[in-house]
Parts: sequence; structure tokens; C-alpha cells
Amino acid sequence: MIGLPDRIHMESELTLRRARRPRVPGLWAVAIGLALAGCGWLDSPATTLTPRSDFGWISHRIFLQILRWDTGIFVVVQILLLIAIFRFRERDPKAIPPQVRGSVKLELVWTVIPAVILTFIAFPTVGAIFRTQAAPPKDALRVRVIGHQWWWEFQYPDLGFATATDLHLPAGRPVSLEIAGADVIHSFWVPQLGGKRDAIPGGITRIVLTPDAPGEYYGQCAEFCGASHANMRHLAVVDAPEAFAAWAASQKEPAPTPPDGSPAAAGRDVFRTAACVGCHTIRGVSTGGIGPDLTHFGSRKTIAGGIFPNTPENLARWVRHAPGLKPGSLMPEQRLSDPEVAALVAYLGSLR
Amino acid sequence: MIEAGGADARAMSIVAHAAPHAEARGLASWLTTVDHKRIGILYGTSALVFFLVAGVEALLIRLQLARPDGQLVGAQRFNELFTMHGTSMVFLAVMPLSAAFFNYLVPLMIGARDVAFPRLNAFSYWVFLLGGLFLNASWLVGTPPDAGWFGYAPLTSKPFSVGPHSDFWLLGLLLLGTSSILASLNFLVTILNLRAPGMTFLRLPLFVWTTLVTNVLILLAFPPITVALVFLMFDRFFGTPFYIPAGGGSPLLWQHLFWIFGHPEVYILILPAMGIVSEVLPAFARKPLFGYPSMVYATALIGFLGFGVWAHHMFAVGMGPIADSAFALTTMLIAIPTGIKIFNWLCTLWGGSLRFRTAFCFAVAFVAMFTIGGLSGIMHASPPVDLQQTDSYFVVAHFHYVLFGGMILGLFAGIYYWFPKVTGRLLDERLGLCHFWLMLVGFNLTFFPMHFLGLMGMPRRIYTYPAGLGWDFWNLVCTVGAVLQGISVLVFLANVLRSLRAGAPAGPDPWDGRTLEWALPSPPPVYNFAALPTVLRRDALWLTKHPDARGPGLADPGALVAPVGAIHMPAPSHWPLLTALAMVVLVAGALLHLGVVIVGGLLTALAVLAFATELVPARADPGGHGGGVHEDPHVGATGLDHRKLGVWAFIGSECLFFGTLISTYMVYRGRSLQGPYPQEILNVPLITMSTFVLLMSSLTMVLGVAAIQARDVRVARRWLLATAALGGVFLAGQVYEFSHFVHEGLGLTTNLFAATFYVMVGFHGAHVTVGVVWLSVLWYLLARGRLGARDEALVDMAGLYWHFVDVVWIAIFTLVYLIQ
Repeated sequence: MIGLPDRIHMESELTLRRARRPRVPGLWAVAIGLALAGCGWLDSPATTLTPRSDFGWISHRIFLQILRWDTGIFVVVQILLLIAIFRFRERDPKAIPPQVRGSVKLELVWTVIPAVILTFIAFPTVGAIFRTQAAPPKDALRVRVIGHQWWWEFQYPDLGFATATDLHLPAGRPVSLEIAGADVIHSFWVPQLGGKRDAIPGGITRIVLTPDAPGEYYGQCAEFCGASHANMRHLAVVDAPEAFAAWAASQKEPAPTPPDGSPAAAGRDVFRTAACVGCHTIRGVSTGGIGPDLTHFGSRKTIAGGIFPNTPENLARWVRHAPGLKPGSLMPEQRLSDPEVAALVAYLGSLR
Repeated sequence: MIEAGGADARAMSIVAHAAPHAEARGLASWLTTVDHKRIGILYGTSALVFFLVAGVEALLIRLQLARPDGQLVGAQRFNELFTMHGTSMVFLAVMPLSAAFFNYLVPLMIGARDVAFPRLNAFSYWVFLLGGLFLNASWLVGTPPDAGWFGYAPLTSKPFSVGPHSDFWLLGLLLLGTSSILASLNFLVTILNLRAPGMTFLRLPLFVWTTLVTNVLILLAFPPITVALVFLMFDRFFGTPFYIPAGGGSPLLWQHLFWIFGHPEVYILILPAMGIVSEVLPAFARKPLFGYPSMVYATALIGFLGFGVWAHHMFAVGMGPIADSAFALTTMLIAIPTGIKIFNWLCTLWGGSLRFRTAFCFAVAFVAMFTIGGLSGIMHASPPVDLQQTDSYFVVAHFHYVLFGGMILGLFAGIYYWFPKVTGRLLDERLGLCHFWLMLVGFNLTFFPMHFLGLMGMPRRIYTYPAGLGWDFWNLVCTVGAVLQGISVLVFLANVLRSLRAGAPAGPDPWDGRTLEWALPSPPPVYNFAALPTVLRRDALWLTKHPDARGPGLADPGALVAPVGAIHMPAPSHWPLLTALAMVVLVAGALLHLGVVIVGGLLTALAVLAFATELVPARADPGGHGGGVHEDPHVGATGLDHRKLGVWAFIGSECLFFGTLISTYMVYRGRSLQGPYPQEILNVPLITMSTFVLLMSSLTMVLGVAAIQARDVRVARRWLLATAALGGVFLAGQVYEFSHFVHEGLGLTTNLFAATFYVMVGFHGAHVTVGVVWLSVLWYLLARGRLGARDEALVDMAGLYWHFVDVVWIAIFTLVYLIQ
């Protein structure tokens, strides 16, 4: 185990996954890993080294296996190289060393041994390929993951709503992510939940996984997709089953109506009369289909393709200067007065 | 009289004499040179300049990423920087640097006076240089390519890539691809045909072997990317839907075609460096390369397997478990020949007497660093692991260990090793070692932490990242390393400049070398060898200097440098440069105006014609035998005429070209979203007739070749004319068919069927047109007596080409018209 940013997750992971713990990696891998992890130098909320799903674990176990073989081969080769360098330095410039041309026996040895090692890697690899790409179980929660320039849309076809930027998943239940691209190719990746899959326009790809433990996991588009590729992030929020059910129930509701006369109500009027309605859906208010669905915008933790925390200040800046904050953004600068922006921010924040 | 070169034997009007054999000087002599050594120097210096440019781009990338939320460059500029960094390093720095070594060394190592086609060689260089300048001119007009060196569709398509960014990229790559393919068939023929007496395949220096395999890979891997770029060009300029999902096309077609080229390209980049290291290690260990035969087989095997692994770049696109498993296993297989090489290099050192010169240090570092890249490569061979690592910084670390730790270190080993041969002066060892250590430390500081960044989830190609993800520290380390590397390159440049002026004189053989080039003065004379060597054993020169019980390696070493009489060398020519310039006008026209394209096209056609007929005598030979293009030295070590071997190699390349076009047609069959569909519109009876006409033209072609072989020029001319006429009839049928289709509402952009059909059949038609022109020119030259009965090889070449074009049509006719 390398790099543990979060002890609590570690515990729950251990209880869930004890049966499938990886075998101990090579001594050297352990030593290097401990040295780096001990100092916290490999900690990241986006780490691939502490998987939080079955899918992630399958990859990680093979990674550790190969790392062990690799470390062994690396050590052998570099030690031989070092020995050769020091032992066979030129001593007498005139001396001609024995002109050895080769050895069939030795060459056979280093043909056969790597072949054997590769078999040890190939078997688990092929097994894992078929396991991770099996058809999703019947009770799997379907989520359509759609990559846009530059934000992620998440549709829950069985639950009847769509959201953006924050992906909610229930812990312990298989999910089937059906991934597609709306414009160019993107790639869906939440490192702690496992490997990536490309979001390809005109096709659907799939990841089936079961998240282990509640938590928030960092995600980011992994296929270069144009100007703001770096600004296409998202958060995967894994909820305990009850919390997920509650969240889903609230998301199913239409957008809450602000009380008359409140700033939020004024904001709704701004939303209706400004350019917003052309691109955004708020169920019950507008039906735009270009930008993210904002029906329950206030319940999200991040905005603007996951690049800012959802705070009123960030939202106000975003509404005013979207292209400045996110190069290439399709959302134009909004020429709104300060009170209008404030009202709009209040309204969007109220959409919980 | 001793002949050098091959196809250009006719141009050997310069008779070089023993003393002084003075080389022409001045700018003009460089612009018109066809000397492989000068072209090698041109390739090398141009490539180093492009290497510096691409290196500065890399430094800017690293400076931007040194801290979170970097503000040095914006998103757009960053995307341009990494696109141009990758594109330039691959196509403008490393490939041409390898070409510099091929050019300078291969003729010397195999005991030849020049390459098989010296003028074609110059042409390849000029196209490369102008292509590179064209690509970089995009900076000057402010629209450099910005969609990555891999240019994934549909990000490169018009809706997502407005402006000429991607046009510069695709047109530049088409130019560079042309240069590479022509250079590759030149080297292929050179190595097969120009080997000195006794230089059998298993006596070739390993560098020549890696050159051979590399050029076979170039020859076969560039046609698919050429086709892919042509499709992209049609999408962008004419609105076809090849890669557009809305039109039924698939962005994945681009990925497959790109990586069918792209993975062999990795070996195209690394094999030459492996060859260099396989020469440098034995020289400084004073031992033969360990396991030479298995090194040869491993090289060939890596090249062969390299064509079967492309989709391991595409595990994340979800190809399904069977394809994933297949490509995982083939990829793992490549580790076996690679491992063989590493252990053979180790054993080459083992028991040697190692002299730690700079060249040797670089070669040893190559082995150590390349091993790391190979080991992380095994991880990517396993799709479940690769899904975590692909498109993350882990992959950036991996391929820089292969490409920089392998290739660049290997190429520097080569530069330090052969610089004295090229310039006559040694590079300074103190500065050299300083360069070496700075580069090795800087390289590892830059790229090793990228493994960590990848495992910590940092994706590639992001221009910024927020603080708080744990990526800050390692990114800073990477940048520090990059700056160190930049300094090391400055040390290298200082070393080169100083040593050129005041380096210690090298003498012919400063390293006690093993291969033939070290038998010659430094720099070697224009004609290389006074007398062609006769090779008795592998490591010929070494065994001549240090004979063992089985005798020396060379029959008469003294003769190589003896005073010479007259040696014919190819005359300089301005047509390579002029033809390349015309091509650039044609290509740049695509960005400017249709008129420029037409002018450029005409100029190119005229230049090619002038180029092709430059060596044909201007007047009829009174003896009626034609000129001297038929001299015996054209027949090389394989017993085949160079030019015919060249045509065969070209046909091999063309098979891949048409194979890609036809495969695309087949893959896209039935995917048109709207009519007219093929079954509604194809006129099978008409095309059956014109197919028959084309087949008949193969018959007349055979009769023409038979006639010229029987020395009957008059009859041969008649059959050539008949062949051209039948070709013309076929073309007329095609013109009729195309206009009929357009009349029926099937424009180029109507649907996928139209796009694939017009491009495939159109390219075939263009080939037939070239054939008709070729035959007509031959007919004319024979009629005027400028070629004669003994020029049968020229007719034979045209015949090979013509039959090939007919065979392609049989495939197209069967697949498009008969099996609907």
C-alpha cells in the first residue's frame, strides 16, 4: 500500500476488500514505496495508488505484480551494468581482450526467462480484461456520462434526471457508466475509482464498477479535447446508499420556486430574460440544451466544469467572465448589472 | 573507369582525379550537391536546429507547469507548444538526425561510393527541410498546429479547428512523409545493392542492419498515415465525412490509421539509435558485438512485430476484451527481442577493456535508461494497468525514457563517435563529459518524477493544474531538470563550435574502430574509397588491424586509400532543390489560393519531368543505342538493376497505400446515411468494359517490354503507344463514370460511399495518368533516339509500375463492382 491520504477510507477499504488483498510486492518496490509514501510525497486526491472500487483494485493488483517483476529485472540489469563498468575498465591501453562473439546458451537463457516472466503477466492480464469488461449485472445503476467541451454531463436514465460536474454514485452497488462524447473525444477518469474510458462521439463505451466507500474523488478529462482540456474536471461523490437515495429523490423534483419578492425570485426573472435560457435547462423554467442542466445547481459542490468550488463569489465571477476564466468557453461574457448578477447568483444558489 | 552511385551514372561528368580531388566550395555547391556525405551534414545540422527549436518549446512547457496555476503562457499557446514539440521532435529532429547518420555512414560502412540514387537523396533532404520550415512558418503567421502531434479526429475537423492550424500540420506532414518514403527506398536499394564484394548480409555492421529495418518500416508505415492525412485534408478542405460522426464517419478510423503508422514509427525512431549503440559499445570495449546474429534477428523481429501492436495505444477506446487481449499479448512479445538486445549489450561490455570516452558514456547510459523505458512499457502492455496510466504523466515518463533516454542519448553517442570522421577533429572530452553528466542528471530529474505524477493522477497535455493535488513539488523538480538539460545542450553547442575551430586533429582512426569508415581519412575524400574493398569477414577493419588465427578481414586494405586515377562521381544537380521548391508552392497554395495550387502543380509536374530526364542525353546517339543509362554498374549485389529494385520497393509502399484506401472503403461500406447508394448507381457493364481495356494494356505492355528486350525499338515504341492509348481509354471511362455520378446527385461530400469511392478510384486514376505520361515520355525519347535499344531497364520499370496499377484495379473492380 502506497500513499494513504485518508485513514478512514483505508479502514473501510480493508474490511470490504480483505479477501482480495494483493500479494506483497517485491522487496524493492516496497522499500521505494515506503520511502516515498512515508514522506507523503505520493499523496494526492487523484491518486491511482489507493483504489476505491473493484475495478480500480483489479488494475492495481496487476500493476503491483508487474512492478515487482520490473523491479527485479531493473535491479539485475543495472547491477550487471555497474559491475561491468567498474570491473572491466581499461587497465592497459594496448591489451586486446578476448574476442568473445556470443554464446548460444546464454542467449537462450535471456530469451526464455523473459518469455516465462511475460506468461506470468499475461495470464492475470487476460483474466482481468475479461472480468472488467463483462456485461453489467442486472441491478447495476445506469449512468450516461457525456463529455462536452469542457464539462461532464451525467444522465440517470432510470431515475429520470440529469446533472453536471458532480457525479453521484451509491457505495456498494454496481454502476454501469455508459460513456459518450458530444463533440470531440474526451476521456472519463476518476483515478481512485479505476482506469479511464474514452468518450467518443458517435459511439458508447462502458465502465462497470462498484465503488467501495463513500467519499469525494477527483476526476479529470484525460484525452486532449481542445483549448480548455485542463479545465474539464469533475467530482465523483460516492454516497452511502441511503444518502444516495435521498439525493436522487431531491434531484428528481423540479426546480424549487423562489418565494415572491425574494432576491432569488428577481434572479429567476433575470435568468428568464437574459441569454441564459438559450443554453441551460432548469426544469419548469427553461429548456436550453447546450450548457449544463441547472435544475439543482445549488446542490453541486463545483461549477464551471469542476474548476471552482460552488460559492456565490465564484459564481458571480463566472457569470461575468466565463471565457476569461476558462479559455474557449462557449458561455459568453454576460453584460449584466451588479444587482442583476447578485440576484442571479442568489437564484442559482437557491436551486438545491 | 570506376563508377559510383547508380541511377545517375550518366551524370558522371565530373572526373575526379587522384590529386587534388578538390571539393567544390561555396553556397551553390551545397545547394546542388548530391554527395551523400554533404547531404548527411545538411541533414544533421538542419535536424539539430529543429532539435533546438523543439527543445525550447519543451522548456516553455516545463516553465509553464513549474508551479500550479502557471501564467507564463495561455491555454492556446500551451497547446500549440506541446503539439509542435512532439511533431518537431519526431519528424524534424530525430528522424532527420537518424537520416544524417544513414546518409553519412551507410555508404562508408558497406564499402560504396554513394547511395543508389544520389539526386533522389538530395531531393529527400530538400523536401524535408522545406517541409520543416513550412511547418514552423505557422508560428510566424500565428496559427501553429494545436491539436497534438497525434491529431485525433474530430478535434482536427473544421467545426473544432477553425483557422489554418491543422492545415499547416497535415500539409507539412504530407511533405515530410514524401521525403521519408523516397529516402527509405533509396537506402533500401543502397544497402541491398551497393554492398562491396564480400559484404554479405551477416557481415553488415549492425548499424546498417538497423538502418535497413528502419527504412523498411518507413516504406510500409508512412503510406497509411499519408492516406489518413489525405482523408483529413478532404474533410477539412472539401467537407467529406471521413472522420465526422454526423456524416456516418468514425473518429476511430483516424486512430487506427494513425497508430498503424505511429507504432512502427516508434521503432523507426529507436532502431537507428540501437544501431549506433551497437557500434559504439564494441568499439570502446574493444570486443565484437555479443551475439551479432541474434541482434540481427531481434532487430528484424522488433520491426515485424511493430506492425501488430498499434491498438495498444487505444485500450481506452473500448475495443472489447478479445481485441484488448490480442494486442496486449503481441505487445508483450516485443519485450523478448528487446530483452535479448539489452543482455547482449551487457555481455559486449563484459570482459572488455572499457575506455570511458564521452561517446561510450552516452551509449552505456542508453542501455541503462532505455531499460527503464522498456520496463514501464511492460505495464502499458497490460490493458487494466494501461487504463490507469495512458494519457497520464506516467506515459510521458515512459516514452521519454524510450525516446530521450534511448534515442537522444544514442544519437549523442553517435555524434561524439563520428564527429571526428566527419570534421577531422575530435570533440573536447572535458566539455563532452560535462555535457553528458548534466544531461543524464537533468534527464532523470525531469522524467523520473513524471512516473509519480502519473500515478498521482496527473493527466497529460494540461496547461495548468490547481494547487492541492500534491502535484506541485514533482512538477517543480521536473522543471529544474529540464533547465539542466537546456544547459547541457548549450555545453554541447559550445563544444561543437570550439572543436570545429580548434579541436584536436582526429586522424583516420581515433577510436581503433571496427568498421570500414575508419580505414579512410577524416573527412573521407569525395569518392570515399580509392578502390572498393573486398570484405572477407565481419568486423573487417578490426580484424585487419588485429588479425586472429582465421586471417584478416580485408583482402587489400592498402588499396582503399591508394592514389587513384579517374573516378566518375555523380554531377551536381539543381533539380532536387527546384522540384522540392515547386512542391512547397503546391502545398502552400492550399492555404493561399486555388491559383497558387494550380501554378505549383504545373511547376511540380514540369520539375519532375526535368528531374527524370536530366540524365537522358539531349541528342540522339548516332549509334542508335541510346545513351549510357544502361551501364553495367547498375546491377548490384542482388543481381537486380538499382532502378528496378527501387520500383519494386516503391510498389511495396504503394501496396500499403492502396491497401489502406481499399480497407477504408470496405470498412465504411453500408455506412452511408443517405443515397445514392452504390447498388443504385454503379454501372457494372460499362466498367467491366473499361476493366477489360486496362487488362489489355497490360498485354501490350508485356509486348513492349519483350520488343525492347529483343532490341526492336520500333515495335517497342508501337506497343508503348498502344499501352498509353488503352490507359487513356480507361481514363476516359472513369471521367464518364464520375460525371455520370455527379449528374445522378452523388457529389464528393454526399455520403461516405461517395467520399471513399471518389478518393480511392481517383487516386487509382491519378496513378494511371502518371503511367500514361511516363509511357508517352518514354515513347517520345525512343522516337527521338535519345534512348535506345539498350535502355530496356527503363521500359521494364515503367512496365512494372503499369502492371501494378492494373493489379490494383483488379482488386478495386472486384471489391467495389463485383461484390456489392
